[in-house]
Amino acid sequence: MASVRMQGLKKRFGAIEVIPCLDLEILDHEFVVFVGPSGCGKSTLLRIIAGLEPITEGDLYIGNQRVNDLTPAERDIAMVFQDYALYPHMTVYQNMAFGLQMRHTPAAEIDARVQNAARLLDIGPLLKRRPRALSGGQRQRVAMGRAIVRDPKVFLFDEPLSNLDAQLRGQVRSEIKALSQRLKTTMVFVTHDQVEAMTMADRIVVLRGGVIQQVGAPEEIYGRPANRFVAGFIGSPSMNFLPVTLLKGAAHLLDGRKLNIGATLEGQAVLGIRPEHFVPAPDGSGMPVEVTLVEPLGSDTLVHFLVGDIKCIARVAPDTKPLVGERLPLAVASGKAYLFDPDSGAALPAGILP
Amino acid sequence: MSVIAQLVIVAAGILFPIIWMVSSSFKSSADVTAYPPTFLFRPTLENYTRLLQTTPFFSYARNSLIESGSSTLIGLLLGVPAAYAASITRSSWPALVTLSARMAPGTLFLIPWYIVFRDLGMVGTYGALILTQAAITLPIVIWVLLPAFDAIPRSILEAAGVDGCGTLRSLWRVALPLVSSGLVIATILAFVFSWNYFLFALVLSDENTKPLVVAAFNYIGEGSTDWGGLMAAATLIALPPLVLAIAVQRWLVAGLTLGAVKG
Ligand SMILES: Nc1ncnc2c1ncn2[C@@H]1O[C@H](COP(=O)(O)OP(=O)(O)O)[C@@H](O)[C@H]1O
Ligand SMILES: [Mg+2]
Repeated sequence: MASVRMQGLKKRFGAIEVIPCLDLEILDHEFVVFVGPSGCGKSTLLRIIAGLEPITEGDLYIGNQRVNDLTPAERDIAMVFQDYALYPHMTVYQNMAFGLQMRHTPAAEIDARVQNAARLLDIGPLLKRRPRALSGGQRQRVAMGRAIVRDPKVFLFDEPLSNLDAQLRGQVRSEIKALSQRLKTTMVFVTHDQVEAMTMADRIVVLRGGVIQQVGAPEEIYGRPANRFVAGFIGSPSMNFLPVTLLKGAAHLLDGRKLNIGATLEGQAVLGIRPEHFVPAPDGSGMPVEVTLVEPLGSDTLVHFLVGDIKCIARVAPDTKPLVGERLPLAVASGKAYLFDPDSGAALPAGILP
Repeated sequence: MSVIAQLVIVAAGILFPIIWMVSSSFKSSADVTAYPPTFLFRPTLENYTRLLQTTPFFSYARNSLIESGSSTLIGLLLGVPAAYAASITRSSWPALVTLSARMAPGTLFLIPWYIVFRDLGMVGTYGALILTQAAITLPIVIWVLLPAFDAIPRSILEAAGVDGCGTLRSLWRVALPLVSSGLVIATILAFVFSWNYFLFALVLSDENTKPLVVAAFNYIGEGSTDWGGLMAAATLIALPPLVLAIAVQRWLVAGLTLGAVKG
């Protein structure tokens, strides 16, 4: 159990700069999720913490110890790999016991810990099998078991759910979360899936091009995105973005229509509205939009429409039942309009008004 | 059809000399030089009994075993870590260097090589022969094992590192068991090549360290050649590599299935 601290961390692969300069502190016992699009440097960062990738510049601390020059073996971390990386020539039991044997744990204690982890993960009956005789979900569990038995300072997960089918993924997701609350070990979890990030994290770190875009609790990232990238990345379907001119509290769209959002700013901006924050407007008010596609999801309905040539989506209650071609008057839920700087994409502080 | 025909031709081409060698070793001295060659003859063991009675065959065999066994061992001791190091650092030059050493004709090195060992006073010693043949076994080991190590997913080796293994331990506990079939193939190939290696052994050995291949060569041209004895010796010399080659085949198949189901 320990904190993880990165100070002025830089990483280059030859001439390619993957992490320009990064500062981050992960607290003891915290479950932190690195999220971002593919290629943004999440795995690289995780592998740097693990010691599998050398640091180009800067410092890395685990607990109070600077670990830049320690091998993975010396860092007392455990990692669950994307492809699980089980040892094919060992049984499930041996796979889990191996890390303890390497650290000269007494055999009786190894056995106790392996049996305990097997019970926790419900893989007791598999202990004598080899990895090739396991399903993907079972392998995933064994990989977790191998990490758990070690009782390390930090757990590292590199997209461990990406090779599971959708149903299993949801299940394992909640299991990992429950496990993290039980083990109380520092966990760093990498994913490109914002749902995983939102559901599991104590804190989310949103990365783009090796640069931290925002660090915060899930509701903070969702409710107060620091910039247009974060706003668009978190939430599904994505936030709608419309270029607007702000005048007297209203947002004037390019096609001349206006939405009343009570903004105090004036001038050019990008208006961001989450699909779930559109509401059907009471008669006459709001902005009438022409429905181009309707996707009923059961719990709610996605309504597609165009504003100028920009595709937008609204999520409405299932009893709204709009028809394609129908003109549906929409308004923005009170206080749910986001405004971004049209050039830098930074959130404008006065964007969210009560 | 044409595939079968091709196989038959290839098989006949490969097998004919072997069959010729084995059958000649069971012919009497009259039959062996008969022209046109006889295909039906009374098999006799006289070549074998003469071979074992008139030559120290078993002491030559012991020399061969010592030299091939030791050079195979040295090849493995140096080649396994070398191949692993080349694989995990993703460097290709060691493979290239060993390849080029194998591609140059041995005769090029023969004289300088001889002079080196003569100056060291090692001509005729086991040491000289073992070191020389290790120069054959080392590249074989590297060449067989490098692709085998390369085929191990990097994440498995990284997992070993995270689990607490240093480089040597991840080689010993994780990588080597995963290339076990490659290891067996490398061992057998190294042994067979060294067993059959003739030219340098001819120059560097003396009567006490002479391996079988060189001893058999002495049958030729001492007055009249004893073809029957030569063929009997050749058959006995070819026996261990033949047996080992059959073993390699079994492991080759095992190796293929091992790769197909890697966890
Ligand atoms: N060993 C490497 N050599 C060169 N470039 C690399 C290497 N590993 C990763 N990269 C590059 O670094 C960037 C970040 O990679 P990665 O951390 O794997 O992204 P992510 O896990 O977020 O998808 C990518 O552009 C990738 O091409
Ligand atoms: Mg990745």
